[in-house]
Amino acid sequence: MTPVMQTTTDVALAATDERNWVIWSLLKTGQVLLFVLTLALLVAALVLADRKIWAAVQMRRGPNVVGAFGLLQTMADALKFFFKEIVIPAGSDKFLFILAPIIGLVMAFAAWAVVPVAPGWVISDINIGVLYVLALSSLGVYGIIIGGWASNSKYPFMGALRSAAQMVSYEVSIGFIILTVIFLSGSMNLTTIVDSQGPGIFNWNMFLLNPFGDYGWRILLIAPIMFYMGVLFFISALAETNRPPFDLPEAESELVAGYQVEYSSTPFLMFFFAEYVNIMLLSAMMTILFLGGWHAPINVSLPFGLQVPPFFWFFLKTAFIFFMFAMVKAIVPRYRYDQLMRLGWKVFLPTALVAVALVSTFVVAANNFGWNA
Amino acid sequence: MLIAITFYLMAFTAVAAAFMVVASRNPVHSVMYLILTFFSAAGLFILMGAEFIALLLVMVYVGAVAVLFLFVVMMLDVDFVELKQGFLQYIGIGATVALILLAEMIMVGAVYFTGESKTVVPTDPNTTNLEAFGQVLYTDYAGAFEAAGLILLVALIGAVVLTLRERKGVRTQNAAKQMSRTREDGVELIDIEPGQGLG
Amino acid sequence: MFQTLSTFLPELFLALSASLLLGFGLSKTNDRSVIVRYISVGVLVVFAFMGYVLDRPDGVSFSGLLFNNDFSDFLKAIIGLSAAAALMLSKNYFQKESLDRYEFSVLTLYAVLGMSIMVSANNLLAMYIGIEMQSLALYILAAFNRDSLRASEAGLKYFVLGALSSGLLLYGASLIYGFTGSLDFETIRASIALTGPTTGIIAGMVFLLCGLAFKISAAPFHMWTPDVYEGSPTPVTGFFAAAPKLAAMAIITRLLIVPFGDIIGQWQQVIVVLAVLSMVVGALGAIMQTNIKRLMAYSSIANMGYALVPLAAGTVAGVQGMLVFMTIYIITVIGVFAIILQMRLRNGMVEQVSDLSGLSKSNPGMAFGLTMLMVSLIGIPPWLGFFGKLFAFVPAVEAGLLWLVVVALVASVISAFYYLRIIKTMWFDEPNREFIRAPRTTRVIAIASILLVIPVLILPGLSGAALGLADSAAQALFAQ
Repeated sequence: MTPVMQTTTDVALAATDERNWVIWSLLKTGQVLLFVLTLALLVAALVLADRKIWAAVQMRRGPNVVGAFGLLQTMADALKFFFKEIVIPAGSDKFLFILAPIIGLVMAFAAWAVVPVAPGWVISDINIGVLYVLALSSLGVYGIIIGGWASNSKYPFMGALRSAAQMVSYEVSIGFIILTVIFLSGSMNLTTIVDSQGPGIFNWNMFLLNPFGDYGWRILLIAPIMFYMGVLFFISALAETNRPPFDLPEAESELVAGYQVEYSSTPFLMFFFAEYVNIMLLSAMMTILFLGGWHAPINVSLPFGLQVPPFFWFFLKTAFIFFMFAMVKAIVPRYRYDQLMRLGWKVFLPTALVAVALVSTFVVAANNFGWNA
Repeated sequence: MLIAITFYLMAFTAVAAAFMVVASRNPVHSVMYLILTFFSAAGLFILMGAEFIALLLVMVYVGAVAVLFLFVVMMLDVDFVELKQGFLQYIGIGATVALILLAEMIMVGAVYFTGESKTVVPTDPNTTNLEAFGQVLYTDYAGAFEAAGLILLVALIGAVVLTLRERKGVRTQNAAKQMSRTREDGVELIDIEPGQGLG
Repeated sequence: MFQTLSTFLPELFLALSASLLLGFGLSKTNDRSVIVRYISVGVLVVFAFMGYVLDRPDGVSFSGLLFNNDFSDFLKAIIGLSAAAALMLSKNYFQKESLDRYEFSVLTLYAVLGMSIMVSANNLLAMYIGIEMQSLALYILAAFNRDSLRASEAGLKYFVLGALSSGLLLYGASLIYGFTGSLDFETIRASIALTGPTTGIIAGMVFLLCGLAFKISAAPFHMWTPDVYEGSPTPVTGFFAAAPKLAAMAIITRLLIVPFGDIIGQWQQVIVVLAVLSMVVGALGAIMQTNIKRLMAYSSIANMGYALVPLAAGTVAGVQGMLVFMTIYIITVIGVFAIILQMRLRNGMVEQVSDLSGLSKSNPGMAFGLTMLMVSLIGIPPWLGFFGKLFAFVPAVEAGLLWLVVVALVASVISAFYYLRIIKTMWFDEPNREFIRAPRTTRVIAIASILLVIPVLILPGLSGAALGLADSAAQALFAQ
């Protein structure tokens, strides 16, 4: 299936034919619903997995009461949140107070519109998909800031300021890290980025060790840089999603629960949901940018000429990254705020900048000297 | 049809939100409306087929500039009712400026319709926005682009020169120093004889 | 490749040196402001002569952004030398005020880089970028003494009004772009030749000129000048008075002669209005001033008015006259500020005119020097200032702008009053204070400036050569 054209052309196409655009809209709505439902179910599973992994590291059992092995725990939690009363603080800005979690959740879901989970399985395959994801993830911060401010309370406000500063800081280095990948792939389209990596684990951007590829042995020159970029992306993703060890906005010991203090019931659930959707988004981005997307790591042959569906690989990799997220949460102690800022601005940003310079030099040299013949 | 609906929706939102930026009583609401204006403008760009500019607008203005605005406005403790009282005082000047701008816009628009103005030749329709931008920024105007980078550097130096103060007596963390500590620096093993203490 | 490189080598040299010096100063184990200053002065001197020493073809670089010819080489030489002088002047002042930081020299280099881009700009975009780089560095320099309320006020005022002028400039540039379809000076000229001066083009041009008039502080866009001159650290004021004015004047000239050269009828009146207002405001405004830096601010407004007079003629001789006048003005004004910087009492700087009273008795050398400079500013022959005005006013008369020259002469006579008042204060009032001995660099620069101002008749060879350079610069602009 060839990639669907850009949004603009979509709209233009749809407008030329009155009948067409109705069908097109219905089709897209269906796709969106499919994505949202899948994500929602996955979030339920991931929350449970998160808690189970955490518990396992600490040699506890974790949730095990509701359903078999506690499988329905998340559902029960969600139901509980749904049926609780929505408490809105008296001094709050009511409109913004309700708007904040909605913004957070909408932005988290909207970013998935360009994420290809298998060849052609994407709602809108726009040619600047990377930029779109970056733009929308930079909007997610509004949910937090507005929520913290609208609560009209000290702890939420401090938490909101912290998390906003944190997200904005780490977005900068994420941008530079992604730039290195864009240089290598020569495209901002996520499908093209995945396809430029191809099957085989040593063709993926994080482990560029295949000396028989397009660039020949010279790819080994930048292999360490790209591996380092992958690690950097993972750590920045932790900070970007306010996950431990960078979960300062909600540091219990200092700020109780950060921007979420005054939230209860469904609005809280929405924040919670948005957080996990964002974690999944960054896991998926890591998969796409550094781990070859839906491509298989090794050549797997199934009996009867069956094929492993590409989506399976994508899911497996994303789940693996999420597992790493959960392990980090269980293992690494929390950073102090100034240390977090130091790490972002004084370590990640300069090294990412140097990497951008090196990788772009490599690509230019490759083009000039015909290394990629 | 769909394009027309989307355009009018976006355009109306942009104008209405821009009005509310000025009219809103609460400064935080003003910034929110400003963000809405940016967002609608980005939508209009997409309708024009300039998706790259649209997303840059969202990323830079909405994602970074407006966040800083919001930061500042939230932390301000200004009596905005008092601030608004000067409003009538400046309305004369403000209206004059607005009228001049309006007249100029009408003038430019009129020239456009009489065909006096030049049309800039569009680039090859087959190139994407990205390629066109790359061509302009890094080839045609490479010098200007580099010089703009130097301007930013100057601004950076300025910010540091005018604000950074090295205060005495403040305990700061020196990460490199901490990292370079070895076991020998930090730990001293002393074999203490029983009954003698450290002496 | 290297052919192109040589056309913008001075800018490249300056940018690289500034950036390297920034890194050098930053990686400090000890304070490097002194050595960075000396290196910067060296860099500026090399930069000043680079255009002439390098035997390079006139040429376009960066696909038409910059165009280097004799015109820009001449201006770069003057700008580089005056900036070097200002930098040397700043040494003692900043050390005494314990403000000495290496960033000062680096920012000066970046400001000069901006001016260099301005004077060779051949494109509205390059022009704007040059102006912004220069202005941004100057805003910071104005507020460099950040603990002083007045310096911060000066910086802020300069910044806000400068931003406004940039807005005007950009508005004008966008109009020009919209109506001619190009940012390139020569293409704009060709387009205007085709369509004639339409309303949009004229509106755009007037906006451009307004924005640039801010930068040369021509009336009615002069309001920031006295406050910024007074509030900024004195060496910075000395720098402001010289190089940036010349660079802005140069870009105005280039703009008028190259893209708008064919519609002189449209811009002549604008320049005339600016010139007349500046001369009148400068002459009348200075009368009431007691602070010598404010007085110099009004003096510079008036002098910008004089410099605009030959420009209104729009001829080769006019441009040459402007260049000669500006060069002489810069030489004089650097000398004046070198002397103002010597007005230091045991407990700090003073800057009132009354502080100079009886200087002839307490410090006759300094009094003599300042007298020479003031006489030159008035324009009495045989001092250099007279020849500046001569070269400035003759082309205007030839172009039939006699009444404008009459206004200029009247303004000169009025302004003679306050220059003479300073002389009177120095020679006939009773001394009331004694300045401490000035450092050597300041004295050397003052003496050099004074020597240049007096003996123009003794050095006909030098003046002839300088005139020749100015002439070839003006010719090059018209040949473009």
